[in-house]
Amino acid sequence: MKKLLSLILAAILLFSLSASAFAQSSAEFNPKEEITLNFPSIWVGTDSKAPVFAEMVAAFNEAYKGKVNIVIEEQTDYQAYRDKIRTMITTGNLPDLFSVDVFKLNDLVASGKLMDFAPYLTDSEWAKTFSDGSLQEATVENQLVAIPFESAGFGLYYNTELLEKAGYTEFPKTYDEMFVMAEKLKEQDIVAFPLMTGENAWTSMLWYSNILLAVGGPEVYNRGLDDPAFVTAAEVLKKMFDYTSSDAVGAGAAVVNGHFLNFEAAVYTNGPWFLPRFAKEGVNDLGNKVKFALPPEYTGGMGTFGGMAGTVQAYLCAAKQDNPEKEQAIVEFFKFITQPEWLYKLAATAGSMFSIKLEANPDDIQVKQDLASAMAAAPYLVKHFNDQMPTAVANGFPAALDELVLGEVDAQGFVQLLKDNLD
Amino acid sequence: MKLTRHDRIGLVSFTLPGLILFLLFFIIPVGYVLVVSLFKWDGMTEAVFVGFDNYASIWKTSVFRRSLTNNLVWALVATCVQVPLAVLMALILNERPRGWKLFRTVYYFPQVISGVALAMLWSAVYNSEYGLLNGILKLLGRADLAKNWLGTLQTAFPAVLIYWVFYIGYYMVIVMSDLSGISKDYYEAADIDGAGKIRQAFAISLPLARNGIMTCVTLAAVMSLRQFEQVYLLTNGGPANRTSTMVLYLYKQIQNMRYGLANAASVMLIIVGIIVIVGIRQLFKLWHAAYE
Repeated sequence: MKKLLSLILAAILLFSLSASAFAQSSAEFNPKEEITLNFPSIWVGTDSKAPVFAEMVAAFNEAYKGKVNIVIEEQTDYQAYRDKIRTMITTGNLPDLFSVDVFKLNDLVASGKLMDFAPYLTDSEWAKTFSDGSLQEATVENQLVAIPFESAGFGLYYNTELLEKAGYTEFPKTYDEMFVMAEKLKEQDIVAFPLMTGENAWTSMLWYSNILLAVGGPEVYNRGLDDPAFVTAAEVLKKMFDYTSSDAVGAGAAVVNGHFLNFEAAVYTNGPWFLPRFAKEGVNDLGNKVKFALPPEYTGGMGTFGGMAGTVQAYLCAAKQDNPEKEQAIVEFFKFITQPEWLYKLAATAGSMFSIKLEANPDDIQVKQDLASAMAAAPYLVKHFNDQMPTAVANGFPAALDELVLGEVDAQGFVQLLKDNLD
Repeated sequence: MKLTRHDRIGLVSFTLPGLILFLLFFIIPVGYVLVVSLFKWDGMTEAVFVGFDNYASIWKTSVFRRSLTNNLVWALVATCVQVPLAVLMALILNERPRGWKLFRTVYYFPQVISGVALAMLWSAVYNSEYGLLNGILKLLGRADLAKNWLGTLQTAFPAVLIYWVFYIGYYMVIVMSDLSGISKDYYEAADIDGAGKIRQAFAISLPLARNGIMTCVTLAAVMSLRQFEQVYLLTNGGPANRTSTMVLYLYKQIQNMRYGLANAASVMLIIVGIIVIVGIRQLFKLWHAAYE
């Protein structure tokens, strides 16, 4: 009984503390009339962040009752969401709030329609909560045009049971060794790498990004597409297609994910949001048989072992406002949803990682803890290929990869196809 | 007949709303497309006038030329294979064989199924790992023929085309409605003259159903030029843009934020559409003339 009472008291104390924290911030903000902010959001429906995100919005609306009201406009498809935001930008009707993933912030800044958060963040306590460098990534032409929200590192995940069948207990350290392993897996009729060229060729693009860093080092993108590393990395990627499934050309994310989750493929890459799915959707107790691995080293390459593709995966943006109170309301909302309490909850349910500093969570699944440790220890984390390239080049990647894999062009031709997409 | 003032007022008041809507929702947007096609514009920054550079630029692109070719092949298959198949089925069902109502429903049924569902279904049929088609080939002992049908350069476009060709229900129903309006007297007279069913089909049914057939051919050609959904869902234009169509091409230019190029492609699509429709009308004029 005493235990129960103390638990209830602790819960009340925690609630009153958090409520007072919200009330305090809410009390400081008193607009003349209630402000409504429209937020077309992708974190709805079956999205892994949807339940907690809905809770966050409801809690904010409650804490700011009569002052600010966030209205969520549900968008359940990522591509449709991007199309919508693109159209709204073009027609000059940006929503009050929105999130950005594949858009280039540079492109958005050119529109001159984004709110600048610099006045609210420079030298503020809020700024100190963000991880190192993330605010700089969101700064374009001295304007802080977005709030870095979700971050990601793109390591590798391997099925220990399948690797054991090929005689491996650990993941190889170099690409040469990795191909020897792939050959042994092939002898066992096991797909080594589930790859894709359909949709945005996402997982293949992640592989290419990591190979590129291994070959050309962290400065590879600064040297541009003329750097030979792009060709060498394409050769390595093409070779990987010798060890993939027969439906890789034209395959979308569902196919690739399906192969790994169904115990048909051995090595996989994706962002941290996917990690909880190993246990939830994988067959044969996959969740307990997956281990994290660092991307291999390329013999003679300029990369350093441990370096990997990693990036701010999603930004929070807002339309430029004429009304300072509306601007303040936006800041209040973004401050609210970037509070660690909420992010821990999101991380636990959706597997997400954030651009806000959070303590390591011992309750996280092992692969996520390993990824977090690897990111913390990484000699460099460099944005992936799609983030580095102009939109048209990133969009041209899947078709160029098709040409490469189907033997229509060689690695040099692949890079030329990418270059053809430049203005 | 000379129109009175009252008639003229009636004529104007009945046609004006339609004309205004046509102007607002067709002429002005087409004009806008035409204007934007002359600019380099990313939707973010100021548009820059480039004249016909966008047209020259897309014409130089192999993806655009392939998309145009695919559209034309598609239109050709639609008008020369799909519509004739529909006409053939309409002629057969018009003879009211046993179970004709069931067949009519079965042939029309795919028209009421979402294109997305059909695309997903066929995507599964063509899949190389677990697809039905490869499964059948393996059962028949021809595993050597099994392949990634939508991911192979030689088979992707035919695979996309073939499944669609057999969805003939829509055109079949149009032709059947025309055939059902033909007087039985013609057929009775032909029977007395000793004409067989095939002769009757060519001498009576087809000429008298030519308006319906022309409608089908025109619709089939126009729909082929507008192809997007099915290609987008099945292959997204791949592999290596081999199944791309003009609408998909312009959609991808929008994704690339190259609105000038997208609009230039739209104008080209409109021009191709006009040429195809005018061509079809001329062909049918010749057919009409043969019976007048």
